[in-house]
Amino acid sequence: MTTYPVRFLLNGTPVEVDVAAQDTLLETLRNKLWATEVKNGCGKGDCGCCAVLLDGRAVNSCLTLAVQANGKEVVTVKGLGNEDDPHPLQESFIRKGAIQCGFCTAGMIVSAKSLLDENPRPSPDEIREAVSGNLCRCTGYKKIIEAISDAAPKCSPSD
Amino acid sequence: MNTRILKAEFDYFAPASIGEALALIAQNGPTARFIAGGTDLLVQMKLETVAPGCLISLMKISELSVLKREKGFLRIGAAVTWDRILAFGSEDRSYPALDDAVRCLGKVQVRRMGTIGGNLCTASPAADSAPALLVYDSRVRLVSARGRRTLLLDKYFLGVQQTARAADEIMTEIRIPAPRPDVGGAFQKLARVGADISKISCAVAVERKGRVCVSCRVAMGAVAPVPLMIRGVPEFLQEKTVTASLLVTAGRMISDEIRPITDVRSTAEYRKQVAGVLFRDVFQKAWTRAGGEP
Repeated sequence: MTTYPVRFLLNGTPVEVDVAAQDTLLETLRNKLWATEVKNGCGKGDCGCCAVLLDGRAVNSCLTLAVQANGKEVVTVKGLGNEDDPHPLQESFIRKGAIQCGFCTAGMIVSAKSLLDENPRPSPDEIREAVSGNLCRCTGYKKIIEAISDAAPKCSPSD
Repeated sequence: MNTRILKAEFDYFAPASIGEALALIAQNGPTARFIAGGTDLLVQMKLETVAPGCLISLMKISELSVLKREKGFLRIGAAVTWDRILAFGSEDRSYPALDDAVRCLGKVQVRRMGTIGGNLCTASPAADSAPALLVYDSRVRLVSARGRRTLLLDKYFLGVQQTARAADEIMTEIRIPAPRPDVGGAFQKLARVGADISKISCAVAVERKGRVCVSCRVAMGAVAPVPLMIRGVPEFLQEKTVTASLLVTAGRMISDEIRPITDVRSTAEYRKQVAGVLFRDVFQKAWTRAGGEP
Protein backbone atom coordinates (compact mmCIF):
# COMPACT_ATOMS: atom_id res chain seq x y z
CA MET A 1 0.00 0.00 0.00
CA THR A 2 1.32 3.41 -0.96
CA THR A 3 1.54 5.88 1.86
CA TYR A 4 1.56 9.61 1.38
CA PRO A 5 3.31 11.96 3.79
CA VAL A 6 0.93 14.80 4.57
CA ARG A 7 1.80 18.03 6.36
CA PHE A 8 -0.67 20.68 7.45
CA LEU A 9 -1.39 23.15 10.21
CA LEU A 10 -3.87 21.76 12.73
CA ASN A 11 -5.26 24.51 14.93
CA GLY A 12 -2.07 26.47 14.37
CA THR A 13 0.34 23.60 15.08
CA PRO A 14 2.26 21.97 12.22
CA VAL A 15 1.51 18.25 11.99
CA GLU A 16 2.99 15.54 9.82
CA VAL A 17 1.29 12.22 9.26
CA ASP A 18 1.55 9.30 6.84
CA VAL A 19 -1.78 8.43 5.28
CA ALA A 20 -3.17 6.08 2.69
CA ALA A 21 -5.02 7.58 -0.27
CA GLN A 22 -8.30 6.19 1.05
CA ASP A 23 -7.95 7.82 4.49
CA THR A 24 -10.43 10.64 4.84
CA LEU A 25 -9.42 13.83 6.60
CA LEU A 26 -12.01 12.96 9.25
CA GLU A 27 -10.46 9.56 10.04
CA THR A 28 -7.00 11.05 10.06
CA LEU A 29 -8.01 13.83 12.42
CA ARG A 30 -9.80 11.47 14.80
CA ASN A 31 -7.71 8.31 14.67
CA LYS A 32 -4.21 9.56 13.98
CA LEU A 33 -4.16 13.06 15.41
CA TRP A 34 -6.71 12.49 18.20
CA ALA A 35 -8.78 15.49 17.22
CA THR A 36 -11.89 13.65 18.45
CA GLU A 37 -13.81 16.90 18.79
CA VAL A 38 -14.56 16.42 15.06
CA LYS A 39 -17.55 14.08 14.92
CA ASN A 40 -18.34 11.27 12.52
CA GLY A 41 -22.02 11.51 11.64
CA CYS A 42 -23.52 10.40 8.34
CA GLY A 43 -20.28 10.05 6.39
CA LYS A 44 -21.82 11.33 3.17
CA GLY A 45 -22.06 15.07 3.47
CA ASP A 46 -25.59 15.42 4.82
CA CYS A 47 -25.15 16.16 8.52
CA GLY A 48 -22.16 18.51 8.85
CA CYS A 49 -20.97 17.01 12.18
CA CYS A 50 -17.49 16.60 10.69
CA ALA A 51 -17.19 20.18 9.43
CA VAL A 52 -13.76 21.77 9.78
CA LEU A 53 -12.28 24.93 8.34
CA LEU A 54 -9.96 24.05 5.47
CA ASP A 55 -8.02 27.19 4.58
CA GLY A 56 -10.65 29.20 6.42
CA ARG A 57 -13.78 27.71 4.85
CA ALA A 58 -16.11 25.06 6.21
CA VAL A 59 -15.93 21.69 4.44
CA ASN A 60 -17.11 18.21 5.36
CA SER A 61 -14.00 16.32 6.46
CA CYS A 62 -15.76 13.00 5.76
CA LEU A 63 -15.72 13.83 2.04
CA THR A 64 -12.22 15.25 2.00
CA LEU A 65 -9.27 12.94 1.51
CA ALA A 66 -6.44 13.46 3.98
CA VAL A 67 -4.04 13.90 1.05
CA GLN A 68 -6.10 16.91 -0.04
CA ALA A 69 -5.23 18.70 3.21
CA ASN A 70 -1.53 18.63 2.38
CA GLY A 71 -0.04 22.10 2.75
CA LYS A 72 -3.27 23.58 4.03
CA GLU A 73 -4.59 24.91 7.31
CA VAL A 74 -7.17 22.89 9.24
CA VAL A 75 -9.12 24.42 12.12
CA THR A 76 -11.50 22.43 14.30
CA VAL A 77 -13.82 23.76 16.99
CA LYS A 78 -10.97 23.27 19.45
CA GLY A 79 -8.85 25.71 17.50
CA LEU A 80 -11.35 28.49 18.11
CA GLY A 81 -11.09 28.53 21.88
CA ASN A 82 -11.00 26.45 25.04
CA GLU A 83 -12.58 26.40 28.49
CA ASP A 84 -10.26 29.11 29.80
CA ASP A 85 -10.50 31.30 26.75
CA PRO A 86 -13.66 30.45 24.80
CA HIS A 87 -14.52 31.93 21.44
CA PRO A 88 -17.60 34.24 21.57
CA LEU A 89 -19.52 31.60 19.57
CA GLN A 90 -18.66 28.87 22.09
CA GLU A 91 -19.66 31.15 24.97
CA SER A 92 -22.88 32.11 23.28
CA PHE A 93 -23.84 28.46 22.56
CA ILE A 94 -23.47 27.71 26.29
CA ARG A 95 -25.23 30.83 27.50
CA LYS A 96 -28.16 30.46 25.10
CA GLY A 97 -28.66 26.73 25.76
CA ALA A 98 -27.83 25.95 22.13
CA ILE A 99 -26.18 22.67 23.14
CA GLN A 100 -28.32 19.68 23.99
CA CYS A 101 -26.61 16.35 23.32
CA GLY A 102 -23.68 18.26 21.81
CA PHE A 103 -22.96 15.97 18.89
CA CYS A 104 -23.70 18.59 16.21
CA THR A 105 -22.12 21.45 18.15
CA ALA A 106 -18.56 21.13 16.83
CA GLY A 107 -19.77 21.30 13.23
CA MET A 108 -22.37 23.99 13.93
CA ILE A 109 -19.79 26.31 15.48
CA VAL A 110 -17.35 25.71 12.62
CA SER A 111 -20.07 26.56 10.07
CA ALA A 112 -21.05 29.63 12.10
CA LYS A 113 -17.43 30.77 12.25
CA SER A 114 -17.11 30.32 8.48
CA LEU A 115 -20.25 32.46 8.02
CA LEU A 116 -19.17 35.25 10.37
CA ASP A 117 -15.76 35.50 8.69
CA GLU A 118 -17.50 36.25 5.40
CA ASN A 119 -20.54 38.09 6.71
CA PRO A 120 -19.99 39.63 10.16
CA ARG A 121 -23.63 40.78 10.62
CA PRO A 122 -25.83 38.05 9.13
CA SER A 123 -29.63 38.16 9.23
CA PRO A 124 -31.46 35.23 10.86
CA ASP A 125 -32.22 33.91 7.36
CA GLU A 126 -28.57 34.10 6.36
CA ILE A 127 -27.67 32.21 9.54
CA ARG A 128 -30.28 29.53 8.76
CA GLU A 129 -28.84 29.17 5.26
CA ALA A 130 -25.28 28.97 6.60
CA VAL A 131 -26.04 26.13 9.02
CA SER A 132 -28.48 24.35 6.68
CA GLY A 133 -25.77 21.75 6.09
CA ASN A 134 -25.62 20.94 9.81
CA LEU A 135 -28.27 18.71 11.27
CA CYS A 136 -29.24 18.84 14.95
CA ARG A 137 -31.11 15.68 15.85
CA CYS A 138 -32.20 17.26 19.16
CA THR A 139 -33.84 19.83 16.84
CA GLY A 140 -32.52 22.71 18.93
CA TYR A 141 -32.31 24.99 15.92
CA LYS A 142 -34.02 28.03 17.47
CA LYS A 143 -31.44 28.37 20.21
CA ILE A 144 -28.61 27.70 17.77
CA ILE A 145 -29.73 30.53 15.46
CA GLU A 146 -30.11 32.83 18.48
CA ALA A 147 -26.67 31.89 19.79
CA ILE A 148 -25.00 32.70 16.46
CA SER A 149 -26.96 35.92 16.11
CA ASP A 150 -25.98 36.93 19.63
CA ALA A 151 -22.31 36.10 19.15
CA ALA A 152 -21.95 37.96 15.84
CA PRO A 153 -21.32 41.47 17.23
CA LYS A 154 -18.77 40.06 19.67
CA CYS A 155 -16.69 38.27 17.03
CA SER A 156 -13.83 39.54 14.95
CA PRO A 157 -12.16 37.55 12.16
CA SER A 158 -9.03 37.24 14.29
CA ASP A 159 -10.97 35.40 17.03
CA MET B 1 -24.63 0.60 4.77
CA ASN B 2 -21.06 1.79 5.28
CA THR B 3 -20.42 5.45 4.76
CA ARG B 4 -17.74 5.75 7.44
CA ILE B 5 -14.63 4.68 5.63
CA LEU B 6 -13.31 4.08 2.17
CA LYS B 7 -12.53 0.38 2.32
CA ALA B 8 -10.77 -0.23 -0.95
CA GLU B 9 -7.21 0.86 -1.53
CA PHE B 10 -6.35 3.10 -4.46
CA ASP B 11 -3.56 5.35 -5.68
CA TYR B 12 -3.91 9.10 -5.74
CA PHE B 13 -2.43 11.76 -7.98
CA ALA B 14 -2.99 15.50 -8.15
CA PRO B 15 -1.39 16.66 -11.41
CA ALA B 16 -0.91 20.36 -12.13
CA SER B 17 -1.58 20.23 -15.87
CA ILE B 18 -3.99 18.63 -18.33
CA GLY B 19 -1.09 16.95 -20.12
CA GLU B 20 0.04 15.29 -16.91
CA ALA B 21 -3.52 14.20 -16.07
CA LEU B 22 -3.97 12.63 -19.50
CA ALA B 23 -0.66 10.79 -19.16
CA LEU B 24 -1.71 9.48 -15.73
CA ILE B 25 -5.07 8.18 -16.93
CA ALA B 26 -3.30 6.38 -19.80
CA GLN B 27 -0.72 4.84 -17.44
CA ASN B 28 -3.13 3.69 -14.75
CA GLY B 29 -5.47 1.62 -16.84
CA PRO B 30 -9.23 1.28 -17.04
CA THR B 31 -9.91 1.45 -13.29
CA ALA B 32 -8.42 4.95 -12.99
CA ARG B 33 -10.93 7.77 -12.54
CA PHE B 34 -10.79 11.53 -12.48
CA ILE B 35 -12.06 13.19 -9.32
CA ALA B 36 -13.07 16.82 -8.82
CA GLY B 37 -14.82 17.92 -5.61
CA GLY B 38 -15.53 14.32 -4.59
CA THR B 39 -18.92 15.08 -3.02
CA ASP B 40 -20.54 12.38 -5.11
CA LEU B 41 -17.72 10.03 -6.11
CA LEU B 42 -16.43 9.52 -2.56
CA VAL B 43 -19.94 8.67 -1.35
CA GLN B 44 -20.31 6.14 -4.17
CA MET B 45 -16.92 4.68 -3.25
CA LYS B 46 -17.94 4.37 0.41
CA LEU B 47 -21.09 2.57 -0.70
CA GLU B 48 -18.87 0.42 -2.94
CA THR B 49 -20.93 1.07 -6.04
CA VAL B 50 -17.68 2.05 -7.73
CA ALA B 51 -14.12 0.99 -6.87
CA PRO B 52 -11.48 2.95 -8.78
CA GLY B 53 -7.93 1.60 -8.56
CA CYS B 54 -6.58 5.10 -8.94
CA LEU B 55 -7.94 8.62 -8.46
CA ILE B 56 -6.57 11.53 -10.44
CA SER B 57 -7.61 14.82 -8.89
CA LEU B 58 -8.31 17.67 -11.31
CA MET B 59 -8.43 20.35 -8.65
CA LYS B 60 -4.85 21.56 -9.07
CA ILE B 61 -5.14 22.25 -12.79
CA SER B 62 -5.46 26.03 -13.08
CA GLU B 63 -6.96 25.86 -16.58
CA LEU B 64 -10.02 24.13 -15.10
CA SER B 65 -10.79 26.93 -12.65
CA VAL B 66 -11.36 29.74 -15.16
CA LEU B 67 -14.52 31.81 -14.61
CA LYS B 68 -14.92 34.72 -17.00
CA ARG B 69 -16.84 36.29 -19.86
CA GLU B 70 -15.09 36.06 -23.18
CA LYS B 71 -16.19 36.57 -26.79
CA GLY B 72 -19.91 36.26 -26.19
CA PHE B 73 -19.65 33.33 -23.78
CA LEU B 74 -19.42 32.81 -20.07
CA ARG B 75 -16.60 30.30 -19.56
CA ILE B 76 -16.87 28.22 -16.41
CA GLY B 77 -13.98 25.83 -15.76
CA ALA B 78 -15.12 22.31 -14.95
CA ALA B 79 -13.41 22.42 -11.54
CA VAL B 80 -15.10 25.67 -10.47
CA THR B 81 -16.94 25.11 -7.20
CA TRP B 82 -20.58 26.07 -6.72
CA ASP B 83 -19.82 28.78 -4.18
CA ARG B 84 -17.75 30.63 -6.79
CA ILE B 85 -20.57 30.38 -9.32
CA LEU B 86 -22.99 31.63 -6.69
CA ALA B 87 -20.76 34.62 -5.90
CA PHE B 88 -20.42 35.34 -9.63
CA GLY B 89 -24.20 35.14 -10.06
CA SER B 90 -24.90 37.63 -7.32
CA GLU B 91 -22.88 40.21 -9.27
CA ASP B 92 -23.82 39.21 -12.79
CA ARG B 93 -27.56 38.62 -13.20
CA SER B 94 -27.37 37.32 -16.79
CA TYR B 95 -28.20 33.71 -15.90
CA PRO B 96 -30.91 33.75 -13.23
CA ALA B 97 -31.99 30.15 -13.91
CA LEU B 98 -28.47 28.94 -13.14
CA ASP B 99 -28.38 31.14 -10.07
CA ASP B 100 -31.69 29.66 -8.82
CA ALA B 101 -30.31 26.16 -9.38
CA VAL B 102 -27.04 26.74 -7.55
CA ARG B 103 -28.88 28.20 -4.56
CA CYS B 104 -30.75 24.96 -3.97
CA LEU B 105 -27.94 22.63 -4.99
CA GLY B 106 -26.59 21.06 -1.83
CA LYS B 107 -25.77 22.99 1.27
CA VAL B 108 -22.93 25.31 2.21
CA GLN B 109 -20.14 22.75 2.69
CA VAL B 110 -21.14 20.79 -0.40
CA ARG B 111 -21.27 23.97 -2.49
CA ARG B 112 -17.73 24.72 -1.32
CA MET B 113 -16.43 21.37 -2.48
CA GLY B 114 -18.65 20.26 -5.36
CA THR B 115 -17.93 21.44 -8.90
CA ILE B 116 -20.00 22.17 -11.99
CA GLY B 117 -17.96 19.72 -14.07
CA GLY B 118 -18.36 17.03 -11.43
CA ASN B 119 -22.13 17.48 -11.47
CA LEU B 120 -22.24 17.10 -15.26
CA CYS B 121 -19.85 14.13 -15.29
CA THR B 122 -21.85 12.31 -12.59
CA ALA B 123 -24.80 12.96 -14.90
CA SER B 124 -27.63 12.16 -12.54
CA PRO B 125 -31.01 12.65 -14.24
CA ALA B 126 -31.81 14.85 -11.22
CA ALA B 127 -28.65 17.02 -11.47
CA ASP B 128 -29.88 20.49 -10.55
CA SER B 129 -27.45 22.38 -12.75
CA ALA B 130 -28.39 20.47 -15.90
CA PRO B 131 -31.84 21.93 -16.74
CA ALA B 132 -30.58 25.48 -16.17
CA LEU B 133 -27.50 24.92 -18.33
CA LEU B 134 -29.65 23.25 -21.01
CA VAL B 135 -32.05 26.19 -21.38
CA TYR B 136 -29.07 28.51 -21.85
CA ASP B 137 -27.81 26.34 -24.73
CA SER B 138 -24.54 25.50 -22.95
CA ARG B 139 -21.67 23.57 -24.46
CA VAL B 140 -19.10 21.38 -22.79
CA ARG B 141 -15.45 21.20 -23.81
CA LEU B 142 -13.69 17.87 -23.58
CA VAL B 143 -10.04 17.00 -24.04
CA SER B 144 -8.23 13.69 -24.41
CA ALA B 145 -5.03 12.43 -25.97
CA ARG B 146 -7.05 12.34 -29.21
CA GLY B 147 -7.69 16.08 -29.14
CA ARG B 148 -10.24 18.65 -28.03
CA ARG B 149 -13.92 18.77 -28.87
CA THR B 150 -16.98 20.82 -28.00
CA LEU B 151 -20.41 19.27 -27.53
CA LEU B 152 -23.80 20.85 -27.05
CA LEU B 153 -24.97 19.89 -23.58
CA ASP B 154 -28.18 18.71 -25.24
CA LYS B 155 -26.14 16.02 -27.02
CA TYR B 156 -23.97 15.17 -24.01
CA PHE B 157 -26.33 13.21 -21.73
CA LEU B 158 -26.97 9.68 -22.97
CA GLY B 159 -28.59 7.82 -20.08
CA VAL B 160 -28.64 7.46 -16.30
CA GLN B 161 -25.10 8.48 -15.34
CA GLN B 162 -24.04 7.96 -18.93
CA THR B 163 -22.58 10.67 -21.10
CA ALA B 164 -20.72 11.23 -24.33
CA ARG B 165 -17.52 11.75 -22.33
CA ALA B 166 -15.06 8.87 -22.67
CA ALA B 167 -13.42 7.61 -19.47
CA ASP B 168 -10.07 9.05 -20.53
CA GLU B 169 -11.54 12.43 -21.48
CA ILE B 170 -11.38 15.45 -19.18
CA MET B 171 -14.19 17.99 -19.15
CA THR B 172 -12.34 21.29 -19.23
CA GLU B 173 -15.09 23.88 -19.22
CA ILE B 174 -18.72 24.78 -19.75
CA ARG B 175 -19.46 27.61 -22.16
CA ILE B 176 -22.72 29.48 -21.91
CA PRO B 177 -23.67 31.91 -24.68
CA ALA B 178 -24.51 35.44 -23.50
CA PRO B 179 -28.31 35.62 -23.41
CA ARG B 180 -30.15 37.99 -25.76
CA PRO B 181 -31.73 41.00 -24.11
CA ASP B 182 -35.36 40.49 -23.04
CA VAL B 183 -34.63 36.92 -22.00
CA GLY B 184 -35.77 35.92 -18.52
CA GLY B 185 -34.86 32.69 -16.82
CA ALA B 186 -35.85 30.71 -13.76
CA PHE B 187 -35.35 27.31 -12.16
CA GLN B 188 -37.25 25.58 -9.43
CA LYS B 189 -37.22 22.12 -7.94
CA LEU B 190 -39.55 20.16 -5.76
CA ALA B 191 -37.87 18.30 -2.92
CA ARG B 192 -38.65 17.24 0.62
CA VAL B 193 -36.28 19.82 2.08
CA GLY B 194 -34.22 22.42 0.25
CA ALA B 195 -30.97 20.62 -0.38
CA ASP B 196 -32.47 17.22 -1.12
CA ILE B 197 -32.16 15.50 -4.46
CA SER B 198 -35.02 16.74 -6.65
CA LYS B 199 -38.28 14.86 -7.07
CA ILE B 200 -38.62 16.94 -10.20
CA SER B 201 -37.08 20.17 -11.43
CA CYS B 202 -37.73 22.63 -14.23
CA ALA B 203 -35.83 25.46 -15.91
CA VAL B 204 -37.20 27.98 -18.39
CA ALA B 205 -35.55 30.69 -20.47
CA VAL B 206 -38.02 32.88 -22.33
CA GLU B 207 -37.58 35.82 -24.67
CA ARG B 208 -40.59 38.12 -24.59
CA LYS B 209 -41.82 41.12 -26.49
CA GLY B 210 -44.70 42.70 -24.59
CA ARG B 211 -47.16 39.85 -24.08
CA VAL B 212 -45.73 37.71 -26.86
CA CYS B 213 -43.40 34.78 -26.24
CA VAL B 214 -40.79 35.25 -28.97
CA SER B 215 -39.07 31.99 -28.11
CA CYS B 216 -38.49 29.81 -25.09
CA ARG B 217 -36.49 26.84 -23.93
CA VAL B 218 -37.66 24.41 -21.27
CA ALA B 219 -35.73 21.60 -19.58
CA MET B 220 -36.65 19.28 -16.73
CA GLY B 221 -34.78 17.11 -14.26
CA ALA B 222 -35.71 13.72 -12.76
CA VAL B 223 -38.37 13.03 -15.40
CA ALA B 224 -36.40 10.80 -17.80
CA PRO B 225 -33.10 8.86 -17.91
CA VAL B 226 -31.38 12.14 -18.82
CA PRO B 227 -31.93 15.79 -17.88
CA LEU B 228 -34.60 16.40 -20.49
CA MET B 229 -34.86 19.15 -23.08
CA ILE B 230 -38.58 19.65 -23.70
CA ARG B 231 -39.28 19.69 -27.45
CA GLY B 232 -43.00 20.31 -28.03
CA VAL B 233 -43.78 23.30 -25.86
CA PRO B 234 -41.21 25.80 -27.21
CA GLU B 235 -42.62 25.32 -30.70
CA PHE B 236 -46.18 25.58 -29.38
CA LEU B 237 -45.52 28.84 -27.52
CA GLN B 238 -43.42 30.51 -30.20
CA GLU B 239 -44.79 33.90 -31.30
CA LYS B 240 -47.98 33.38 -29.28
CA THR B 241 -49.58 35.86 -26.89
CA VAL B 242 -49.17 34.34 -23.47
CA THR B 243 -52.38 33.73 -21.52
CA ALA B 244 -53.18 31.61 -18.48
CA SER B 245 -55.08 29.06 -20.57
CA LEU B 246 -52.23 28.79 -23.08
CA LEU B 247 -49.87 27.89 -20.25
CA VAL B 248 -52.30 25.28 -18.91
CA THR B 249 -52.25 23.62 -22.33
CA ALA B 250 -48.45 23.85 -22.45
CA GLY B 251 -48.27 22.27 -18.99
CA ARG B 252 -50.43 19.35 -20.18
CA MET B 253 -48.14 18.88 -23.19
CA ILE B 254 -45.17 18.63 -20.81
CA SER B 255 -46.91 16.04 -18.65
CA ASP B 256 -47.42 14.00 -21.81
CA GLU B 257 -43.86 14.40 -23.06
CA ILE B 258 -41.93 13.42 -19.94
CA ARG B 259 -41.08 9.80 -19.07
CA PRO B 260 -40.68 9.68 -15.28
CA ILE B 261 -40.20 6.58 -13.17
CA THR B 262 -41.34 5.69 -9.67
CA ASP B 263 -38.53 5.69 -7.11
CA VAL B 264 -37.91 6.48 -3.43
CA ARG B 265 -38.43 10.18 -3.99
CA SER B 266 -41.68 10.18 -5.92
CA THR B 267 -44.07 8.22 -8.10
CA ALA B 268 -44.24 8.49 -11.86
CA GLU B 269 -47.88 9.50 -11.52
CA TYR B 270 -47.10 12.37 -9.15
CA ARG B 271 -44.28 13.59 -11.34
CA LYS B 272 -46.58 13.67 -14.37
CA GLN B 273 -49.30 15.47 -12.42
CA VAL B 274 -47.04 18.09 -10.95
CA ALA B 275 -44.86 18.71 -14.03
CA GLY B 276 -47.38 21.01 -15.70
CA VAL B 277 -47.95 23.03 -12.55
CA LEU B 278 -44.22 23.36 -11.90
CA PHE B 279 -43.68 24.45 -15.51
CA ARG B 280 -46.33 27.18 -15.17
CA ASP B 281 -44.77 28.49 -11.96
CA VAL B 282 -41.27 28.55 -13.42
CA PHE B 283 -42.44 30.03 -16.72
CA GLN B 284 -44.26 32.80 -14.84
CA LYS B 285 -41.12 33.63 -12.86
CA ALA B 286 -38.95 33.69 -15.98
CA TRP B 287 -41.60 35.73 -17.81
CA THR B 288 -41.66 38.37 -15.06
CA ARG B 289 -37.88 38.48 -14.99
CA ALA B 290 -37.83 39.09 -18.75
CA GLY B 291 -39.42 42.44 -17.93
CA GLY B 292 -42.77 44.12 -18.47
CA GLU B 293 -46.20 43.22 -17.09
CA PRO B 294 -46.47 39.93 -15.20
